[in-house]
Amino acid sequence: MNVANQSYPENRSENASDHSLVPPCQDACPLHMDIREYVGLVSQGRIMEALQVIRTGNPFPSICAYVCTHPCEDACRRSQVDKPIAIRSLKRFAVEFGGDRMVRAEAETKHAEKVAIVGSGPAGLACAYYLKKLGYAVTVLEAHSELGGMLRVGIPQYRLPREVLNIEVQRLIRMGVEIRTDTRVVSLDLLFELGYKAIFITIGAHQSLRMGIEGEESPGVIDGATFLREVNLGLKPSLGKRVAVVGGGNVAIDAARTATRLGIKKVSILYRRSRAEMPADPKEVEQALEEGIDIIYLVTPTIIKRENKRLNVTCVRMELGEPDESGRQRPVPIKDSVFIEKFDTLIAAIGQAPQTPSDFGVRIGRGSTIQVDPSTLTTNRVGVFAGGDAVTGPATVTEALAAGRLAALRIDDYLQHRYPLPVKETKEKLGGDLLPKTIEMIKKIERVEPPNLAFEARAKDFETVELVYGWEQAINEARRCLRCGVGVEILFQDKCATCLTCLRVCPYHVPYLDVSGTIRIPADQCQACGICVAECPAKAIVLRKPFDRRQVTDELGHTIKSAAESKNKPLIIGFCCQYGLYGTGTLARLWRGAKAGVSIVPVLCVAKVEATHLLSAFKTGAEGVFVAGCGEQCARENTTYWVKQRVAKVRKVLGSIGLEPERLQVFALSSTAEDPAEELDKFVEQIGSLRLASVIKGEVKS
Amino acid sequence: MIVAEQKPLEEIRRMIAPYQRVLILGCGTCMTVCDAGGELEVSFLHNALQLAQARSGDVAHTFYEHTLKRQCDPEFLGLLDEKTADVDVILSLGCGIGVQAVAERLPDMPVLPGVNTSFMGMTKESGVWDERCAACGDCRLEDTAGICPITRCTKGILNGPCAGPKKGKCEANKDMDCAWILIYQRLERLQQLDKMRRYYPPRNYRPIPRPRRITSKAGTMAGEGNG
Amino acid sequence: MANSIFEEKLGSNDFIVTTEVGPPKSVDVSEMVHHIELLKDKVDAINITDHQSSVMRFPSIGGCLVVKELGGEPILQMTCRDRNRLALEAELLLAYSRGITNVLCLTGDSVDVGDHKEAKPVFDLDSVQLLKMIRTLESGTDMGGNELKAVPHFCIGATVHPEADFIEPQLIKFDKKVAAGAQFMQTQGIFDLASLRRFMQYASQFKIKILAGIIVLSSAGMARYMNNNVPGIIVSQAIIDELAAVEKGKGLQKGIEIAARMIKTIREENLCHGVHIMAVGNEKIVPDILEAAELVNA
Repeated sequence: MNVANQSYPENRSENASDHSLVPPCQDACPLHMDIREYVGLVSQGRIMEALQVIRTGNPFPSICAYVCTHPCEDACRRSQVDKPIAIRSLKRFAVEFGGDRMVRAEAETKHAEKVAIVGSGPAGLACAYYLKKLGYAVTVLEAHSELGGMLRVGIPQYRLPREVLNIEVQRLIRMGVEIRTDTRVVSLDLLFELGYKAIFITIGAHQSLRMGIEGEESPGVIDGATFLREVNLGLKPSLGKRVAVVGGGNVAIDAARTATRLGIKKVSILYRRSRAEMPADPKEVEQALEEGIDIIYLVTPTIIKRENKRLNVTCVRMELGEPDESGRQRPVPIKDSVFIEKFDTLIAAIGQAPQTPSDFGVRIGRGSTIQVDPSTLTTNRVGVFAGGDAVTGPATVTEALAAGRLAALRIDDYLQHRYPLPVKETKEKLGGDLLPKTIEMIKKIERVEPPNLAFEARAKDFETVELVYGWEQAINEARRCLRCGVGVEILFQDKCATCLTCLRVCPYHVPYLDVSGTIRIPADQCQACGICVAECPAKAIVLRKPFDRRQVTDELGHTIKSAAESKNKPLIIGFCCQYGLYGTGTLARLWRGAKAGVSIVPVLCVAKVEATHLLSAFKTGAEGVFVAGCGEQCARENTTYWVKQRVAKVRKVLGSIGLEPERLQVFALSSTAEDPAEELDKFVEQIGSLRLASVIKGEVKS
Repeated sequence: MIVAEQKPLEEIRRMIAPYQRVLILGCGTCMTVCDAGGELEVSFLHNALQLAQARSGDVAHTFYEHTLKRQCDPEFLGLLDEKTADVDVILSLGCGIGVQAVAERLPDMPVLPGVNTSFMGMTKESGVWDERCAACGDCRLEDTAGICPITRCTKGILNGPCAGPKKGKCEANKDMDCAWILIYQRLERLQQLDKMRRYYPPRNYRPIPRPRRITSKAGTMAGEGNG
Repeated sequence: MANSIFEEKLGSNDFIVTTEVGPPKSVDVSEMVHHIELLKDKVDAINITDHQSSVMRFPSIGGCLVVKELGGEPILQMTCRDRNRLALEAELLLAYSRGITNVLCLTGDSVDVGDHKEAKPVFDLDSVQLLKMIRTLESGTDMGGNELKAVPHFCIGATVHPEADFIEPQLIKFDKKVAAGAQFMQTQGIFDLASLRRFMQYASQFKIKILAGIIVLSSAGMARYMNNNVPGIIVSQAIIDELAAVEKGKGLQKGIEIAARMIKTIREENLCHGVHIMAVGNEKIVPDILEAAELVNA
C-alpha cells in the first residue's frame, strides 16, 4: 500500500487521465493532504466522505484539527481575493460531525520483522500507525507514564483536549501496537539484541535553551517546557502572584495562557522583538491578549536577582536593527534603558533542543539534533532511523506526523531490501498569483470564523477555546474554496477550432490568445465553473479531473438505470446543485419527503449541466425536467444565465416535437423569488396535469 | 468564416424519414465556430432526434455521429470510408460545400444538408454573427473605407445611401446600421470623403459567372487552366 | 429644343406643380383613369409610381400610357429594384417610343418593406447610374456599348431627402445626381420648412429645379405609422401634434389645410421652384389642396 501518496480513492485508479494540479494548500501541507477534495465534500454536506479523505491523508486528523498551524491557510489563494479558507476549522467540523472517534483502524501483522519506536510523540505515533498498517509488529517505548510526547506534555489541554489524544492512543492499541510506557531507552544495542530489526528515534526536543544571563539558576526561574510538562502531567506548580514569560513563540504563549488558567492574574510576556516578528500563531496571540495577558515588546531580561522570595528582573529595552540571517531585524539594546521589574516566577521559553543519549551512537549535528539523510531518515547507524523534533528541532505537529509517515515507508523499504526511491509527485503544482482581472470577477464572500469560547469563561479552566462550526457555517465557509487546479483544459487541441467561445463565455476572463494565435486556458486562473466545457462547440475542453468530467452523465445514468429497474418511469427528473445549502438543505428536505416519481440527479453546480443532458432526461420518458441551482447564492458567476440559455435551446426542441416547453424549468434561488420548495411543488402539480391531459388526448384518439 | 444555421428539427426529421441508419456528420471548422455543426451540435442533434423518435414512435432510426476536421477537403473525407459501410444516409452538418464534397466522394450514398448555409461573416459577440462579404469577386473596400456596401447595404448600391435610413439604421432592418452612413463617417475620419464623391459606374458582374474556380498554381497562365 | 412639355415648363420661371398617382393592384384601372382625368389639367405633370413601397401594382409605364392617352403629361418613375440594366434600357426605349419622355430615376425601396418580401432584389444599377445610363442612351449607345439605330431623348429627374436625419451623405449623393445629369428633383416629403430653407441654401448653387415634396396626412396615427414604416419619411412632431389636436373625422381636412399652407408659403416666399404633391391613396383631394393653396389656375 502506498500510504504516502494516498488520496481520495477515485483518482488512484484514474491517475493517467487525471490532469488536476496540486493546489497550494496541499503543497504547503507537510502531510500533503487532499484539502481541496475534503473542503469540496464539506461544501456538499458530504461530511462522512470528507472525513474519509482526511483520514486517508492523516493518521490523527482529530489532533490536527486542534493543533495544526495550518500552513495550508497561509498558502490559500483565496487570500488574494479576500481571506483564506478556514481549513483547520473545516477539518475540525468534519472530524466531529463525521464521527472520527467512531472510526476503527484495523491492521494485520504480515511481516516477521519487529520495529521499535523510541518516543511516542506525533512522529512516533504516526510511524507506529503506518508501520502497523504495513503489517509490522511495532513497539512504542515511552519514557513518561503516558503516550503522546509533546502532545501530552507540551501542548496545553485548552488547545488539545486529552480525550482526543487518548482516543488516538486507544485506536493504536486496538490496532495491535505494543506500548511500553515508563521505559527510558538508554541503549539501542539492547533493542537490537531484543530482536528489533529497525529502530525509529523520535525523542523530541524537550530540553529548554538557557537564556545565558546572571541569576538564571535562581529558584523561581523555570523553563517553559518543564513548566508545561508539570502542568500537563497534573502538577500544580506554585507561581506566586506575578509571572513573567520570556519568549515569543508558541511555547511562550502556551506557558502564559496556562499560567492564567492556574489562576495567576498578572501574566506578562517579555519579547525582544515587536509583534510583527513574533513566531507564535497570531490567532493564539490574539486569544492571549483577550485573556488579559500583557505582552511587553522590545524588552529582554539581563539579570535576575532573588530577594525576599521575589525576583528582581533587570530588563533592557530593545530596538530593531539590521536583519539577521533569518531575515528578521536583529534586536539591539537601547542605551540607558535599563529598568527593574519584580516577579514571583519567570518562565523562560526561548526555545528547545533535543537531548540524545550519547550511548545511542548516532551522529549529532547543529543544535543537538540527530543527523539524518533527509530523504530516507537514516542515521549513521544501520537500521536506525530518526525523525521529528529530535531531527529538526522544535517544529509543528503536522511536520512530525509527516516525518513519522516517511519513517514508516523508509523502514519498510529497508526491511524489504528495496532501494529507497523518493516519492515522486506525478502531478504538477499549481502556482502563481491570480491576475487582478480574475480577482475582480470572483465573488467576495466573507470568511466564516468558528465561534470561540467567551473569554470570561476561558481563564478559569482548560476548556477548549475554539468551538466547532455549525452545519450551515461550515458549508458556507467550504463553498468559498476556489478549487485551484481542478479547472478546465483544452484536452483535444486538434479539435479546437479556435472559435473563441471559451474566451467569450468565461466570467473570469481566463482564456486568452497567445502571440501565435493559440487559445490558452491558464490553469492557475481557471475557476472551474465549467461554463466553457458545456459551451465549447468542438467539445475540446474538459475538466481536469475524470470524476468531474463524467459526474453529470454518470449520475444521470444511475437515475435512468434505477428507474428502469424499478419499472416505474420517473415522472420528473431534476438536476440539483449539491453545493451549499440548496443542495444539502432545502432540496434534500423537500425530496426526502419522497415525492413519488421524482428523481434527483445531483450535480456539482448547474453550470455543468449541458443541453444534451436535458434532452437525455426527456429521452428516459420523463414528463418534466427541472434544473435547480443556487442562483444568486452560487459562489460562481453567471451560472444561472448559461443554464437558462441551454434550457431555451432544449425548449425549442421540445416545442418542435410537440411537447410543451413548460415541461422544462429552471429554479434558481434569489432574494426575491418564491420559496423554492413551493415553486417545485407547483411544477410537480403542473406536470401531473399535463400528463393527465395527454392521457385523455391519447384516449380520445384511440 | 462561413456562417450557417442548423435546419429546424422538423425539416431534418422529414428528410431522414426514408432512411434507417443515419450518420450525423459534423464539421470541425466553420460549422463548429458558428455553432451550427460542430461536435457539440452533432451530439445535441443526435439526442434531439432520438428524443423525437422516442416520443413519436416513428420509424426507428439508428444514429451514428462523427465529426471531421473539415468536410470540404477530399483527404479528410477519406477518413469516412470505414464509417459509411453500415449507414444508409449521411446527414451532413457541413456547409453547402461540405455536403457537396461528401456527395462527390461517395457516389452511392445519399447526402442530406443539416444546415442552411447563410453567409460569410464574423462574430459580433458570442452566438451572434454578421455578414461581411458577398464574395463578389471585385473588391471595392479600398474606396469604401473598409466597409462593404455590396454586403452591408441591403441594396448593394455604390454611389451613396438611398433616402431610406432613419437614425442611421437601414430601411430594411431597423437593427442594422446603414452601411453608407458608416462609410461616410469612416471616410470623413480618414479624410477621404473625395472617395465618396467619385462616381462609381455599374458593377461588372463578369467576374462572377458561376461556378467560379481559383487556381494559385505557379505557372498557370490565363486560359491555361484546367477548366 | 425641349423633349417634353414638362421640360419646357422647367425652363420657365413658373411655379411648378406636379403630383402623383398610384396605380392599382388590379387590371381594372378605372379609378386611376378617374384620378388622372381629375388632375391632368390642374398640374404640370403626373408621376406614376413604380410599385411604391415595393408593393406590386400595375406598372408605372402602363399608368404613363394612360396619362398620355388622356392628354396629360406623365413622369415615368423608374426604380432599380426590379429590373436589371437590360430591362431598364428596354423599358426606356418603349417609353420614348410612346412619347413618355419624363423619367424620375430612383434606387427603389427595399423589397423587405413591401408585399413580396421573398423576391430577389435586383439593384443592378443605383439611381445615379440610372441617370448616367439614360444620358448614355441619348448619346447613341446602350450600356453594352452597342449603337442604337434611333436615339431617345429624355427629361430626367431624381429625388433628394432634405429632411434626412443624417444629411451629409445625402448631399454628396445629390451632387452626384446633378453631375449625372438630373434636371429636376422632387424631394422626399417636407414637413419642416426650415429644413427646406437650409437645403435650398445649398442646392441653389446648382442649375436644377427643386420641387418640394408635400405629403398629405390624414391623421396623427398615419403620420406615426409612416415614421415607423415608410422609408425616408420623417414627419415632424409639430405636424403630428397639430393633427392630433383636431377632433375625429376632421384629420384629412386638417391634412389638406397643412399641405395647402405649406405650398402657399413655399410659393410666396419663393423657397424653391415648385411642389410635388403626394396624396398617398387620396388622389381625389389634390384639387382641394390646390384650391386651398390658391393654385387652381395651373
